[in-house]
Amino acid sequence: MAQEEGQPIFSEVTCQEIAQWASAYLDEHVEDERKRHIALHLAICAGCETYVKQIATVRDVVGILPKAIEQPSDSQRLRQAFVARARRLPASR
Amino acid sequence: MNVEISGVTESMSHRMVASRKPELNSSATVANGKVALLARLRQGDERAFDELVTRHHSALIRMAMGYVADREVAEEVVQDTWMVVIEGLGRFEGRSSLRTWIFGIMIHKAKDRGVREKRHTTFSSFESADDDGDDATDPSWFHQSGEWAGHWAFPPQPWDDQTPEKLLASQQAITAMNRAIEALPRTLKDVLILRDVEGVEAKEVCNILKITETNLYVRLHRARERVRQAVEAYLVGRKPTM
Repeated sequence: MAQEEGQPIFSEVTCQEIAQWASAYLDEHVEDERKRHIALHLAICAGCETYVKQIATVRDVVGILPKAIEQPSDSQRLRQAFVARARRLPASR
Repeated sequence: MNVEISGVTESMSHRMVASRKPELNSSATVANGKVALLARLRQGDERAFDELVTRHHSALIRMAMGYVADREVAEEVVQDTWMVVIEGLGRFEGRSSLRTWIFGIMIHKAKDRGVREKRHTTFSSFESADDDGDDATDPSWFHQSGEWAGHWAFPPQPWDDQTPEKLLASQQAITAMNRAIEALPRTLKDVLILRDVEGVEAKEVCNILKITETNLYVRLHRARERVRQAVEAYLVGRKPTM
């Protein structure tokens, strides 16, 4: 896997750095130069490709986990307060 | 090897949409919806208020739990938050989004309550513990020396393409992920709930939590990594080791 000089082929950026930058990369919050390095690395590194995909999966699944729809324990009191406030302050804007 | 990252495509298309005229802009439609909601709230529309409460109450409770002792106190904090929102709607000038304003009120109240309960005497030191440059990932996964230093020693094993569907179909997996989220330190939980669970834009999350975007992504990645480990543990059929 090493190049002629015996240097690793991923000389621009390490896998550890890719792992650190995975979330910022997925959300497009890395500067162009870094983004280019990461994209090049991902194209040739199966370990990093897997890792970034897993973080993307986590991000996506967390966003669609079933949510319990909760209401305030005293929602009636809140609604009454809302109505009372609206009566005191007729919409002026 | 083709890496398909949905987030990249999404935000690229978002940028393209954003460059069009406002009336064709889908985010303008969303903004109009928010303005409409605010107008309805100011007119005293009860259904608009119910809508607002339903939309944010769960996340408010979940976040408040990170600041105070128990669920009961968290509910009081959020109830107080709603009362402040009701009283303040007439004065709300819309300089921030309605959501940023509401979450800001809750955090202020929850911190105040948490300090009064002496749960966290110094928030700043508590928060800084998670702001340091500690690695989100375990250094032992990587070669530490030699020409492969910094590269995978123990690369992650791929999940199959059906993993999202399998996770969502399994109550055990859902419970494992929710437990991992609840077990996060507050600073990490706040960003994960706002950004990934509620889908709040990065800049708005920063406004709500008063942190930089760099800080946001350090925290967000740590949070996602811990949930990833919970998923990994579920997939290999053992309990989380965290």
